[in-house]
Amino acid sequence: MSDAIVVQNLGKRFRRYHADRPTTLKEALLRGLRRIKPAESFWALRDVSFGVAPGRMVGVIGPNGAGKSTLLQLIGSVGRPDEGRVTVHGRIGALLDLGAGFHPDLTGRENVFINGVISGLTRHEVAQRFDSIVDFAELEAFIDNPLRTYSTGMQMRLGFAVAAYMEPEILLIDEVLAVGDLAFQRKCLDRIARFKAEGCTIILVSHDIASIRQLCDEALWLRQGELVAYGPSDVVAGQYVTEMTAETRRRTPAMRPTRRTSTGAELRVNENRFGSMEIEIVAVRLLGPAGLSITELDSGDPLRVEIEYMAPEPICSPIFGVTVSRADGLVCYDTSTEAAGLHLPIVQGRGRISLQFERLDLIGDQYFVDVGIYEREWTYAYDYHWHVYPLLVRPTRGEKGVLRPPNRWAVGSVPSFQTSLLASEVS
Amino acid sequence: MGKTSTVETPLYERRLVYLRDLLCELVVRDMRLRYKRSILGVAWSLLNPLAQLLVFSFLFRLVLPLNIPNYPSFVFTGVLAWNWFQTALFLTTGAITDNRELIKRPGFPVAVLPVVTVTTNFIHFLLALPGLLLFIVFDGGRLTGAALLLPFVIMLQFLLILSLGYLVATFHVTFRDTQHLLSVFLMLLFYLTPVFYDASILPARYRALYNLNPMVHLITAYRAVLIQGGLPDLRALLILGVLVGGVLWLGYTVFTRASCHFVEEL
Repeated sequence: MSDAIVVQNLGKRFRRYHADRPTTLKEALLRGLRRIKPAESFWALRDVSFGVAPGRMVGVIGPNGAGKSTLLQLIGSVGRPDEGRVTVHGRIGALLDLGAGFHPDLTGRENVFINGVISGLTRHEVAQRFDSIVDFAELEAFIDNPLRTYSTGMQMRLGFAVAAYMEPEILLIDEVLAVGDLAFQRKCLDRIARFKAEGCTIILVSHDIASIRQLCDEALWLRQGELVAYGPSDVVAGQYVTEMTAETRRRTPAMRPTRRTSTGAELRVNENRFGSMEIEIVAVRLLGPAGLSITELDSGDPLRVEIEYMAPEPICSPIFGVTVSRADGLVCYDTSTEAAGLHLPIVQGRGRISLQFERLDLIGDQYFVDVGIYEREWTYAYDYHWHVYPLLVRPTRGEKGVLRPPNRWAVGSVPSFQTSLLASEVS
Repeated sequence: MGKTSTVETPLYERRLVYLRDLLCELVVRDMRLRYKRSILGVAWSLLNPLAQLLVFSFLFRLVLPLNIPNYPSFVFTGVLAWNWFQTALFLTTGAITDNRELIKRPGFPVAVLPVVTVTTNFIHFLLALPGLLLFIVFDGGRLTGAALLLPFVIMLQFLLILSLGYLVATFHVTFRDTQHLLSVFLMLLFYLTPVFYDASILPARYRALYNLNPMVHLITAYRAVLIQGGLPDLRALLILGVLVGGVLWLGYTVFTRASCHFVEEL
């Protein structure tokens, strides 16, 4: 069977204009028509070739400006490539901008019809699906109210629901899963999984490497408009993460005085500290059960990790991460504000963020709490302290492993005839 | 997958049904939005020309008498046709820039947008048309079989606006003062169009130049078939028809060529 999507030597050039390019005819006439011509052009995509077999799900990864959205647009035949071509077999559905084309003054019902028709269904087809759409969006009670009375979450649900009933053969998804409440996100993911099970070919653009690894068969990595790698999602995502680490190393300022933490550990750049230092971790405190600074605790005790940071310039949506790793490097637990669905706005100046563990059920050993602040797409770290903050979980005798979940032995007697049976077998 | 609807009907036929539905939905959306929160609703499409009618009747029957028979019907015809032309062309200019989110939709037929705007205003014209016909009957005009030619004149005007609309909408994407300049131009053109006066009073030596304005022929034709009850100047309409066909082809070509860059420019 031939590929559902074939991209051959695809190139898209964007023109960059003079900063004072006239946007009105009046200015153009006053300043001369010369400046209308683009000053220079750059390739948003160049020499990109790949094929997607029917029913496969491909994740597109890469930093901002790598051409991910441009690629998605060209596959959706929005705009025309300057080089090469895109061949698509099948009806295209898109989850690009949920709620685009919605109008606040119209009712939910009217918006479903308009949006459905805009998405490529005939009115008859929308009417057939109408009940299912409303049902999926869980908006029966509100469907005849004007859209402006809906919350953003409700609007997104309606947008997704319309798209979900498009029955596309090829589905383009651009970072829409980050909206709505968790239950609805779950529902969207389930629906996408069903699309996949039904044989739909899916292209997903996401910054979330974890979900690409989890959902996609293949991953496609773009860097500055060029295809870096295309292959199994695990492999490509792994390569991408490795490069991100290298990028952090490259951005780490070489000349930075060694600093001491409050616990006396030395922070040495490129040894146990990495990052561009656009935000700095000023202090990290590990607080024990009594709320006091500690370096050791008992297994099962609560732990609070408090990070104090300083951002001289405003930084948009940084991600904070905390890892608990054993002295030998084994990662026992890793989480981030992004993983918790916590979206931070612009951060500037001094601030504090903390992570509370209700209990830390680790086996007695020497651990480190590694703390990092990352660029919002994980492309590099702002500041990452590795194996700087020690944490000793007091050893208990006779236990091995990593976890120490709360447990209890119970001893009881066993009915006697079984004991005799067992005894006879042994003899 | 449930692809029954696409499989059973031939593809091109489904495409036609789809385009019709798309046009309908977008036109209905425009209409709903315009009248959603107004008490008078659709009556607005009649009120504005009626007000103009009052002013012109007062001015050119009492202040500066032009001595045109059936003057109210005469002016009303001109005002309705002109308003459709002016409003539709003005609004079509923004058809692309005002619909950014639709342009970005994969597979969205962008060329439908100017048609939507022209159609919406055409419907306003249609809604006022019964009013005009009543008016003509009461005003002593002669509604004859010639009125059957009305649909052709209307169609010609529709295509004229659309063909110019494609051009100005494309231009407006690059130069955002196109709409502004156009409104000035339309205001001047209004005086060079026989809306409140009769084209026949024009001195002969300016006539050739004056006749370059397509609305001159259309408004004269409306009056011929509706008020005078005779045949319009068929030769002029035929030439206009051929020209409109040419401009429509040109406008559509320019529009579709440029449409692949709309996304970047918006």
